[in-house]
Amino acid sequence: MTHVDPAPHRTVSCTVNGKDVQVRCRDGALLVEMIRDTLDLTGTHIGCLNGDCGVCTVRVDGQVTKSCLYLAARAEGAEVTTIEGVAEEGTLHEVQQALWNGEGFQCGFCVPGQVFCAMDLLESNTTPSDGQIRHAISGNLCRCTGYQKIVEAIHDASTRLDPTEKTATH
Amino acid sequence: MIPPHVRYLTFPDLGSACAALAAERKYVALGGGTVVVPELVRRERHADAMVELRGLVPDGVTVGEGEVEFGALATYTTVARDPRLQEAAPLLRQLAAGITGGAQLRNQATLVGSACRAIPSSDVPAALVGLDATMRVQGPSSSRDIAATDFFLGAFRTALAPGEIVRSVVVPSHPGGYGYLKFKFSESSWPIVTAAAFVRDGASPGGPRWATIGVGGLAPVPARVDLDLDGSLPTAADLNDLLAEQTSAYWSDELADGNYRRSIAGAIARRALAQAATRHQDSATDRGGE
Repeated sequence: MTHVDPAPHRTVSCTVNGKDVQVRCRDGALLVEMIRDTLDLTGTHIGCLNGDCGVCTVRVDGQVTKSCLYLAARAEGAEVTTIEGVAEEGTLHEVQQALWNGEGFQCGFCVPGQVFCAMDLLESNTTPSDGQIRHAISGNLCRCTGYQKIVEAIHDASTRLDPTEKTATH
Repeated sequence: MIPPHVRYLTFPDLGSACAALAAERKYVALGGGTVVVPELVRRERHADAMVELRGLVPDGVTVGEGEVEFGALATYTTVARDPRLQEAAPLLRQLAAGITGGAQLRNQATLVGSACRAIPSSDVPAALVGLDATMRVQGPSSSRDIAATDFFLGAFRTALAPGEIVRSVVVPSHPGGYGYLKFKFSESSWPIVTAAAFVRDGASPGGPRWATIGVGGLAPVPARVDLDLDGSLPTAADLNDLLAEQTSAYWSDELADGNYRRSIAGAIARRALAQAATRHQDSATDRGGE
């Protein structure tokens, strides 16, 4: 008779959207699986599970990360931000607001990745060119918009976030 | 999902991690993770455990006298954003900034991991061959250096023995001109053909200027052309002939077959070489003319 080891598990302690969590998960659990299945934060999506599509994007210690390529075990001690954590409950981040206003999405499946990558870009570059925006979101596949409205929305968000424009827009 | 039996193992030091990798055929080293993790998810790789390299190998870039050392866990983002590399390793800096997969991938994936997986159409292998890089390799009980030109043995196959991992890669920082070009069908596509060209003043092989070009995507292993540059640059057809002399099998996959790659490789190499020659000329002017 073959002896089968029980699936190896571990407890991962990290911060998710500012809250300390301790999550029991399989050794090989992906970060996206921990976020969706255990923490029930389903704004992070699963698409290709192959690192191509970007719908599982989160931030890990500030860095935009495809959570299907990242082991939950590696998030030990990390600060994780999911799409639920980019703005206060009931409000939208400027990038989200710009995508909403500009119809920068249709089905919405790719939105988490577009939002995180736009935020990442605008933190270091408040006046990006079209080319810089397209490069910044190149890890996110959108099959609805053709990207043009996303690019326009990120331009709009850059204006909202630009400190020199802030008094005019808020 | 990764099969439930797969374990995640950490070790106190690199030697014991290498010993575990040497002893257990179905243990796999985990570097950046962007190759190994999806391979496990797709069941293309069968492993009993992932061996964590984080904390055991360097993740930074060291700019030394005449060389730059890239730690095994230095990500593409680390390389692309390091201002020192504009002088010391500009070709790899440009390459890192242009890796397909977006900021998320570049934040996690590494130069060394790409070299170790040896995917024929990846950006990294041919660039390391063209730049005369050296792989610093650690095994369970000893370390050794392997020249990049000897490291790539075939598609997905390297000179690493069981239990050996690449700790870092060292690239000489010669003054000279560089050019890097990759041809791909769309932003999110794997490269079809890449060319990394380097032009330097040279005693070797003897001309007044000397060029090396590493060409990726053409064959299962990177192709390399070394040539004297006196007078005009070789044409794309000349470079196709030179590449054909040393290529016995061409790489084919679902994106492009070997004949297609063969027909464009000379043109891609020519453009990278032209960039390198122009930059070399400009840097010579900056140095006070020659």
